[in-house]
Amino acid sequence: MIRLTWLQFRTQAVTAAAALAAFAVLLAATGPHMASLYAASGLSGCHGSSCLSPATYFTASLARSPYGVLFLLSTGIILLAPAVIGLFWGAPLIARELETGTAALVWNQSVTRTRWLAVKLAIGGLTAMAVTEALSLMQTWWAVPISQAVADGSGAGVAQSRFSQLNFATHGITPLGYAAFAFALGVTAGALIRRTFPAMAVTLAIFAALQVAMPLWVRPNLAPPDRTVIPVTSLGGAGPSQTGPGGDTFTLYALNIPGQPGAWLLSSGPVNAAGQPVSTTPAACTSVGNTGQSAGAQGNAFPPGQGPAAFVDCLGRHGIRETITYQPASRYWPFQWTETAIYLALALALAGYCFRRLNRRRS
Amino acid sequence: MTAAIEASGLGKAYRRTWALRDCTLAIPGGHVVGLVGPNGAGKTTLLRLATGQLTPTRGTISVLGEPPAVSPAQLARVGYVAQDTPVYARMRVADHLRLGAWLNPGWDDELAQRRIAQVGLDPKQRGGSLSGGQRAQLALTLALAKRPELLLLDEPVAGLDPLARREFLRGLMAAVAEHGTSVVLSSHLVTDLERVCDYLIVLVASRVRIAGEVSELLASHRRLSGPSRDPGTLPAGQDVIEERHTDKQSTLLVRTGEPIHDPAWTVTPVSMEELVLAYMNPANDIPARRPQLGVAS
Amino acid sequence: MIEFQLDETSGVATYLQLVQQVHQALRMGMLEPGDQLPTAQQVVAQLAINPNTVHKAYRELERAGLARARPGLGTFITRSPSATDPATQARFLAAMTDWLRSARSAGLGPDDIEAIYRTAFRACFAEGAA
Repeated sequence: MIRLTWLQFRTQAVTAAAALAAFAVLLAATGPHMASLYAASGLSGCHGSSCLSPATYFTASLARSPYGVLFLLSTGIILLAPAVIGLFWGAPLIARELETGTAALVWNQSVTRTRWLAVKLAIGGLTAMAVTEALSLMQTWWAVPISQAVADGSGAGVAQSRFSQLNFATHGITPLGYAAFAFALGVTAGALIRRTFPAMAVTLAIFAALQVAMPLWVRPNLAPPDRTVIPVTSLGGAGPSQTGPGGDTFTLYALNIPGQPGAWLLSSGPVNAAGQPVSTTPAACTSVGNTGQSAGAQGNAFPPGQGPAAFVDCLGRHGIRETITYQPASRYWPFQWTETAIYLALALALAGYCFRRLNRRRS
Repeated sequence: MTAAIEASGLGKAYRRTWALRDCTLAIPGGHVVGLVGPNGAGKTTLLRLATGQLTPTRGTISVLGEPPAVSPAQLARVGYVAQDTPVYARMRVADHLRLGAWLNPGWDDELAQRRIAQVGLDPKQRGGSLSGGQRAQLALTLALAKRPELLLLDEPVAGLDPLARREFLRGLMAAVAEHGTSVVLSSHLVTDLERVCDYLIVLVASRVRIAGEVSELLASHRRLSGPSRDPGTLPAGQDVIEERHTDKQSTLLVRTGEPIHDPAWTVTPVSMEELVLAYMNPANDIPARRPQLGVAS
Repeated sequence: MIEFQLDETSGVATYLQLVQQVHQALRMGMLEPGDQLPTAQQVVAQLAINPNTVHKAYRELERAGLARARPGLGTFITRSPSATDPATQARFLAAMTDWLRSARSAGLGPDDIEAIYRTAFRACFAEGAA
């Protein structure tokens, strides 16, 4: 049964190997050069907070170069790999045999359907997990300079913490869970729908929906988020925005959390002294005109007492502070394990259902 | 000889329609059984129940004394060729044989290779490029080389030209002669069955109309022709299966246990084709008789 | 070795056709005592018929005393059919020739004669009448 599975799996395995090889070649060809760019930016010799500026410059310039494109492309490939596997390895597994009638041929040999499915699921599932994780590990190796820059504090360009949406899904062990689930989903869809193309469509739709729902609604709540309130003046990066001249409303958002590097920032917003969300500008600050765009138009000079910094100072003096909801960096690996476990459990449940379905023989 | 297939009150329904109903059979082993009936009569359903691809809605079925597909050992005793003789389109002929060898402990590779060479199949050819007759021969080889005790074939020759049909039956009969395999062969073509079948089952509209040894059926049916007469005047024990009347002449096909002595009738034997056609004709009411559950010897 | 034919249109059961062909071959001298009849596998390979039919025919021949099965070796002719010596055969041949002549002069053509013959033949042998 193992030999038969490999015989039928040949084409898919060769395609996967070719894709892995191409991916490896692409990354191997460009990795060393990116590492030399890293060294040239002065980051290899710096220490502590002096690294922040070159790190920011490094990742920002990467974003504008072909390396930025490559980073996004490789991330996209890793995200898509489980879907492709679910569609082209999972959906046809049972559906194709039923469609072409070969199920009547192979299930009447001296092998039970249970054993037939068990071997096919094991080989397909394990290969799927290995391929996806291999893609992920290759990109992790290639992106070491970028993750160094992130560790140095950069938040610009291609630099994103490993806890961010995209990076969480493409590194660590989550790709294993996605691959196993997508594969099992494809096989189940094929078993239920009994036709390859509709099964592929359904697999894609359900997998995509889950991959959107998980980071939006489930992952943020895998553990109760932490909350903190910080002075508005310690907000790093861009600050207020304003609608209309004179500024009656405003909003403030945080890009990172001071003292919490690598945390996953879920939401942030201004609160008043009582701790309630606020969006109305205090009367005293409405005259402190600002907006980002006028600063750019006039060069970087603001009249004294005006401009974004002055506005933020004014807000701070009137009791406005920033509240931030986040998951601390220490929860990264627990979240990785939990999310992977969820997907693996789903995969196993689907597989179990397939066994029952195959043995049902109602038609 | 153990019964090849035993069914008792077997029925299979899909949603609201019955594909097979009230099926009680005791098919003896060591025979070539013809399962005849029009399209949609339930032949495929019966065979799929026998191979364990379907579970009964009602009643029971046992194959070679065991429930169908209950274990790999039982699966090894039964060979099956599905309608349209499916093969893997992208797999070569030689790979199909390897499939058989890997999945069947009782695989006779020498037989398989010999048969492939005999029927002229190219081991390197892919399944998708084989003709209908070649596919049928490949499927038959796969079924025979696992050395089953019972072979179930679902309309294997329906789509074949006469030469391919004859070649297929030749190969099948040669296997029966060599290994003593029991065969159940379903078809809606009657003519081929006369050559090869010695046990007959007629299935019409999901019900069994008649089942029995061909020699016994032929011995117990007669064609009566004579001057116009009401079939009700026939003595008891002579059941009319089919009747045709003109104003001058009556022709009846009767089932009877005793010889016909009435001199008014010209009595002639019935050919298997006539018999099957009469039982297949839904317009004919088949009078009930005691069901024979014993294995005919 | 004798090679069997099958006439699907004759209405005669297959096994009977085989038996008749053996009888015929014995009469024509194509088969002699001691000759081996083809095995079931050989007949089946040629005619694509049920091997049980061949076994049935050979059992019939055994019952008539014309052949005997030797396990592991095959089925062999034991003796020629008795009951008709050449004199009896010549007598019936003469009677048949006379009948044919008078049928012809009565105006019957070959097809009529054949039809009459077949009807009488079927009636005589089909019911197993002695």
